[in-house]
Amino acid sequence: MSIISFSKSEKRYPVVSWLVRAALVFALFCLVWAFAAPPPILVTLGAPQTVQTLHPKMGIHTRMTDEVETWKIKKNYEMVREMGAPYIVEFFPWAYIENQKGEFDWEHADAMVDHARAQGLTVIARLGFVPPWARPNDTSTTYLDAEHYNDFGDFVAAFTEHFQGRVEHLIIWNEPNVNFEWGQRPPDPAAYTELLKVAYARAKEKNPDVKILAGALAPNLAPPNSTDAMNDLEYLDKMYQAGAKNYFDILSVHAYGWKSPADEAPSPDRVNFRRTELLRDIMLKYDDGAKNVMLTEGGWNDHPRWTKAVTPAERIQNTIAAYDWCEKTSWIEACALWVFRTPAPTYTFNDYFTFVTPEFDAKPIYYEVQKYARGE
Amino acid sequence: MIDAIKNQQSKINNLRVGTLPLLLLALVILAYLAFLFFAPQSPPKPDDTWTRIQNEKIVRIGIDPSSPPFIVDDGKGNLSGFDVALANELAHKWGVKIQWVYTGYDGLYDALNAKQFDLILSALPYNPSKTQDVFFSHAYFNGGPVLIVRGDDTTTTDLAGLQNKTIAVELGSNGDAAARKYQKRYNLNLKQFNTSQDALRALQRGAVNAAIVDPITFIDFQRAEADTGAKTWRVVGKSLADENYIIAVRRDAPTLLREINAVIDSLRRAGKLDEMQKENF
Repeated sequence: MSIISFSKSEKRYPVVSWLVRAALVFALFCLVWAFAAPPPILVTLGAPQTVQTLHPKMGIHTRMTDEVETWKIKKNYEMVREMGAPYIVEFFPWAYIENQKGEFDWEHADAMVDHARAQGLTVIARLGFVPPWARPNDTSTTYLDAEHYNDFGDFVAAFTEHFQGRVEHLIIWNEPNVNFEWGQRPPDPAAYTELLKVAYARAKEKNPDVKILAGALAPNLAPPNSTDAMNDLEYLDKMYQAGAKNYFDILSVHAYGWKSPADEAPSPDRVNFRRTELLRDIMLKYDDGAKNVMLTEGGWNDHPRWTKAVTPAERIQNTIAAYDWCEKTSWIEACALWVFRTPAPTYTFNDYFTFVTPEFDAKPIYYEVQKYARGE
Repeated sequence: MIDAIKNQQSKINNLRVGTLPLLLLALVILAYLAFLFFAPQSPPKPDDTWTRIQNEKIVRIGIDPSSPPFIVDDGKGNLSGFDVALANELAHKWGVKIQWVYTGYDGLYDALNAKQFDLILSALPYNPSKTQDVFFSHAYFNGGPVLIVRGDDTTTTDLAGLQNKTIAVELGSNGDAAARKYQKRYNLNLKQFNTSQDALRALQRGAVNAAIVDPITFIDFQRAEADTGAKTWRVVGKSLADENYIIAVRRDAPTLLREINAVIDSLRRAGKLDEMQKENF
């Protein structure tokens, strides 16, 4: 017996009643079809993994910050492990985590860190990206004035405490020697050093063992007094003059090769991979040679038409030579190049920095670096 | 027993729903769905961009003039390249003149929607993430890697026909990536070279059975080798990984889009697009 049944009319007009039933079933099917959503994919951390590599300084900058789906985060870090790179640099935007003062949302950051660690990766966290409440209206996300340095310090302290035992390296800011990374203002190494001092003190309060990375400067040849950027060598020198020496543990360096081979000798008037050595010289000048350097960005681009690109074969050869140089250089602690994969393509030259496509297709450079890591 | 039957009948009666409310519910849902499908569309707005092009007899084209061999500025304001030839064809068919508007590559879409020009024709790859912002034309060029064999190889029709054979690629290139994708399936023996030209030379001297390179390099190589008594070549099948180049217009310019597509389609049918490639690559 049908649950939905019709009384006298069913016998009197059987065709009509069946049509009504059919219409009802069809309408309900449409509703269910329209509103039904599959359950979310269950993603577990899985058994702890370790990175198999002959080159333990190898690293790569990942970009899971804007990756929504957890399975993609996991897959991304699995592929990094399988490539043989034990270090990753990952961006943790302040505004994403502390969108309201004192209210922290760690969910996505936890997912990134936990999945990376499950794959045996060491996370180097880059901190920056100012929330709206910590800056005036009509300013960019890289604008932070001295009045809000303590707010950033609070965030650094909270981050350090939350990730104690999981994240032990923090990069303070990104490329502050470039106008658009310093809130559309002329670069100011003294102001950055003040910010560094606050961040250093607050992080060490929570975890004396955490390593603070400073600098992360954009390599460039900007002329003196340019408002767009400050030469990275000049900027680092001025950081030391402003008293930065005691407020960082490791220098973070961005080492892009542009069109030069990895082994090209450094020179102050050239941007190339070994410009890193000139930054190291400034550390030595200020008697700071006991500290190590970590490359937290760098590498080559193989776009077919971009003016700073090399051929795909040159990119592969330079990349492996760069990893090799890092391996043999005692004061280099890690070598994380730009960039493993982005969540979506940009359809510009930037796509030609990646090792893996957004669809997780490994590019030839991935396989060649993997062979290098395995000694094949 | 009778009481039990009556009780059961009463429960069933309680579950019955009146015919009319159910019928109304079904009608409302179906009417709503029908409305979604058959709701009258507002009449299309006139295409002001196309009207202006016709009235002023000028089409404004946004370009980044640093994309050889598609657009090259010789430093004196003289433009050449495949995209320039295509723009000239558009202007010729429409009976209008071209006003070039130089814009950095990253700013092309924003400048288009800010109405600084009428269309983008600047070695622009198809970008699915922009389909809600602009209309894209039919593709006028596919830059994806292609399979090349020697002209005297008349049997190879696809990669499957090259099982256990040696394929030359440029290390790290899109051709290399495509070849690695099919390597296991067809048991291909890949031989990597530092440049696509080296890969093609290996094919030329018979050291490999085929090469996978991008079509721009191939056309350029063909031209460069034309006078050296080189062997003939054959492109086998379609691109192994599409990289379509398109023209973009604003979404309020559907007539302009149709006119662009009509020109591209007629050039393709007449074989003119292939000729333009050979002249410019």
